[in-house]
Amino acid sequence: MNGSALVEARAVSKVYGLSTVLHPTDFVVVASEVRGLVGSNGAGKSTLLKILTGAIAPTSGQVLVDGEIAPPAKPLQMLRRGLACIYQHSNLVAEMSVLDNIFIGRQPTHLGLVQRKLLRQRAQALLARHGMDFDLDATVSTLSTVRQKEVEILKALALDARVLLMDEPTGWLSVSDVTRLHATIDGLRSRGVGIVYISHVLDEVFDICDAVTVMRDGRVVADQPIAQLDRARLIELMVGKTLATQAFDQAHDGVRRAPPTGVPRLRCRALTKRGEFHDVSLEVHAGEILCVTGLVGSKRTELVQTIFGASRFDSGTIELEGVPLEFHSPRAAIANGIGFVTEDRHRDGLMLDLSIAENLVAATLSRYRRGLLLAGARIRATARRLIAALNIQPPNLAKPVRLLSGGNQQKVLLGKWLDMQPRLLILDEPTVGVDIGAKAEIYALLRAARDNGMAVLVVSSDLEEVMTIADRIAVMVAGRLVRTREACETKIVDLVRDMGAVPA
Amino acid sequence: MIRRRGNSALPIFFLLTFALFCAVVPRFASASNLEALMAGYAFIAIAAMGESFAILLRGIDLSVGAVMALAGMVAFDASLILHLPGYLTIALALVLATFAGALNGVLIVFLRLQPFIATLATLAAYRGIVFTISGRQLVPELSTAALTDPWITGLDAYFDIGATLGVESISLPAVPLSFLLMIVLLVLFEVLLRSTRFGRDLYATGGNPEAARLAGIDLRRTVLIGYGLSGFCAGVAALLLVARLTTSTEALGNGMELTAIAAAVIGGVRLNGGAGSMWGPVIGTFLLGVVLMGLTLFGISQFVQQILTGAILLAAIAHSRWLQARSLFRHSAPEAS
Repeated sequence: MNGSALVEARAVSKVYGLSTVLHPTDFVVVASEVRGLVGSNGAGKSTLLKILTGAIAPTSGQVLVDGEIAPPAKPLQMLRRGLACIYQHSNLVAEMSVLDNIFIGRQPTHLGLVQRKLLRQRAQALLARHGMDFDLDATVSTLSTVRQKEVEILKALALDARVLLMDEPTGWLSVSDVTRLHATIDGLRSRGVGIVYISHVLDEVFDICDAVTVMRDGRVVADQPIAQLDRARLIELMVGKTLATQAFDQAHDGVRRAPPTGVPRLRCRALTKRGEFHDVSLEVHAGEILCVTGLVGSKRTELVQTIFGASRFDSGTIELEGVPLEFHSPRAAIANGIGFVTEDRHRDGLMLDLSIAENLVAATLSRYRRGLLLAGARIRATARRLIAALNIQPPNLAKPVRLLSGGNQQKVLLGKWLDMQPRLLILDEPTVGVDIGAKAEIYALLRAARDNGMAVLVVSSDLEEVMTIADRIAVMVAGRLVRTREACETKIVDLVRDMGAVPA
Repeated sequence: MIRRRGNSALPIFFLLTFALFCAVVPRFASASNLEALMAGYAFIAIAAMGESFAILLRGIDLSVGAVMALAGMVAFDASLILHLPGYLTIALALVLATFAGALNGVLIVFLRLQPFIATLATLAAYRGIVFTISGRQLVPELSTAALTDPWITGLDAYFDIGATLGVESISLPAVPLSFLLMIVLLVLFEVLLRSTRFGRDLYATGGNPEAARLAGIDLRRTVLIGYGLSGFCAGVAALLLVARLTTSTEALGNGMELTAIAAAVIGGVRLNGGAGSMWGPVIGTFLLGVVLMGLTLFGISQFVQQILTGAILLAAIAHSRWLQARSLFRHSAPEAS
C-alpha cells in the first residue's frame, strides 16, 4: 500500500488566452503521504489542484488515477474515484443545512425519497469518528467562517476519500483549530490516504508534510522529502535563488532612508471594525512605501478598503496630512487624492471590453471635459504618454484590455491611478498573476512614484515582493497589526515568524 | 447557530389581511366570494409554483403566460377541430406545455443564454405560434363554439363540502376542483423539493452552482427539469382556466408572468435563487387575491389595484432585502463560544 501512486499528473499545462499559468508539469500523489505544495501567489498551485480534481481541463497532458487515464474536467468522475478537495474559497451552498452540504449531490435515496434518517446517522457517525460537534440542521450561512471550513472538511471526509487535496485549509483557522486539523490529517494518513497540502505557512509544512513540491511561475522547481530541506533552503526554492539574493540586496543596499519626518500623509489610530480588524495604528509618509503583509484571511484587504471608504469602521481615527477624515464612499476618498488599485483587476479594476485609452483615463475623466463633451485629442495624448511611460504592450490605444496579458492589464490599471497623481496610492496584491518581467517594471514604477513624493501603501502576501519594494513592513495576523519593521533591517525569516505569531 | 427558519411572518400576515378584509369589506366573508377567490386564484397559484422552480434555479421564466396561451390553444384545436377525446386533449396540452418549458432550459443550458433573454424570446415566439395555430382564425365559425367535452368541463367542478359534512346551518363555500388540484400539486412539489435528490440538487444549483458542479450534480439535467416543471404548471393552469371559460383565446394568460413572479417573490422565493418554498408562492398568490378581490368589493378601480399590486411587490422585495441585510450584519459579528 505504502508508496503506490494514487493520482498522477503527466505533463499537464494550462493556458488562459495569452498567459501560461501552468507549464507542463508532472505531479504524483502517493498513498500514506502528506505532500506539501508550496510557492508564492500565482505560482500555479491552485491551477494544478483544479486540474487534478477535474474542476478545469488541462490545455495539454493527462491525469491518471490508479494508473488509468481519467477523463478531463469531470469532477464527478474524480469524486467517484475517491479524490476530494477542499478549495480555498467556500464551496458550500450557504442557504442549505450542514447535513445537506455534507452529502450534497450524493444523498442516499429509497423509492426516490432522500433517506434523511440514514443521512443523519451517517453524519453523526462521521462527527463521532473525527471528534467534531455540529448542529446538523444549522443553515451554513449562519455559521462563522471557521465552522464553515470544518463543514467543507467534513464534506470531503464523508466521501471516504483516498486522496484529499487541501488548498490553504488553515487560512481561516485559529492555532488550536490547526492542531486539531493536523491530528485529523495524521489519522487519514495512517489509513492510507494520500494528501496534498497547499499552504503559505511554512511551519505547517514542516509540521505535517512528508514531502514537498515547490512551484514557481507555473513550474515545479523542486520535489523532495521534507527531511532533506530546511527552512532557508525551502524559502530559497520558493523565491528563487537569484531573486532571493536580489531581494536581500535590495533590502540592504541602500543607505538607510532617513526616518520620515513631519506630518504623515496617512495616519490611522486604533482603527477597529468589529469582526474584521482591531486596534490598527499605522503611518505612511510622503516618499515612502509601506507594505502590509500577512496570511490570507488576516484582514489586510478589509483594512485598506476601510481606509479607502469602501466600508465603514467602528472606532479609531483616520488622518490625512493631519486632518481627521472619514470617507463614506470611495468617491470621497478619490476626491481627497487617494487612489486604490484593487486586488482582482477583472472583477473591480478594469473595464475589460473597453480600450486601453478609455481605461487609462477612467478615473480622471472629468479632467478631459470640454463643455459637455470629452476632449478626444487630449485623452489620446495622455493615453499615449502613459502607454510609453508604462511600456504597455502592444502600444495600441484602441486595443480592448481583455486581449492584453495579465502583466499589461495590471500596468493599465496602475496607469489609471498614477495619472491621477494621488497623494496616497493603495495597492492590493499589485502583481498577482503577473509575469516576472512585468513585475520588475511595476516595482520600478512604484519606486519612481515614491521618489516623486507619493505615499504608497501596498498589501501583499508575496514576501519576495514585500522585500523588494518596501521601505517599511507591517505584518497583520488575524486582524491585528503585530509588528512594523524597517525593511533594511528585516529578513524574510523574520517576517515568516511574525506571520505565524499567535495573535494576542 | 441558527436553524433554517420557516418564513412564519407570511402566513401570519396573510391571516391578518384576510381577517381585516372580512371585518371591513361587506360580503367579503360570504361563501360565494370565497368560492370565487379559490376558483379565481388556484390556477394562478399553480403557475406561480412553476415560476418558483425557475427562480429557485437563479433564473426567471417570462414565458409562463405564453405557454398558458399555447396549451390553451392546443386544447381548443384538439377538442374542437380534431375532436380528440378529452383525456387525450389534456395529455397533449400538458406534454406540449412541458416541452415548451423545457425548451427554455435547452436555450439556457446548451446555448448559455441568460434566462431573462431566453424566456423573453420564447414568450414572443410562443405567442406567435398561438396566433398561427389559433382555431379561431383557422375555422372562424368555431370562435363562438364552447368546449363541451366532459373531461375538460369536468375540470371546472365544485365540491359542496358543507353538504358532504352534513352542515346545513351555515353556508360553507363549495371547493373548486382547481383548488384541490393546487393542494395536491403543492404537496407533491413540497415533497419533491424537500425529500428527493432532484429537490436537493435544485437548491444546490440555485444556491451555489459552482459547488453543485464540483459535487458532481448534473446542472443541465436539473435546469432542464426545473424549466420543464414550470411549463407543466403553466399547462395545468391553462387547462383549468380554459375549463372555466369553456373556450380559449390568443390572449389567454396575458401578463401572467408578472403575477406569477410577484406571487413567488411575495411568497419568499429569493430572487437570486437557492432559497424559498412552494407554499410561500401559494400564500403569496392568495394574499394578492384577497387584496384585489377585497378592493373590488370596496369599489376601487382596476387601475388603482394595479398600482397596489406593484406596491405590494416592491414592499415584498424590500422586506426580503431587509431580512438579508439584517442576517448579514449578524453573521459579520464574531461568533460567541
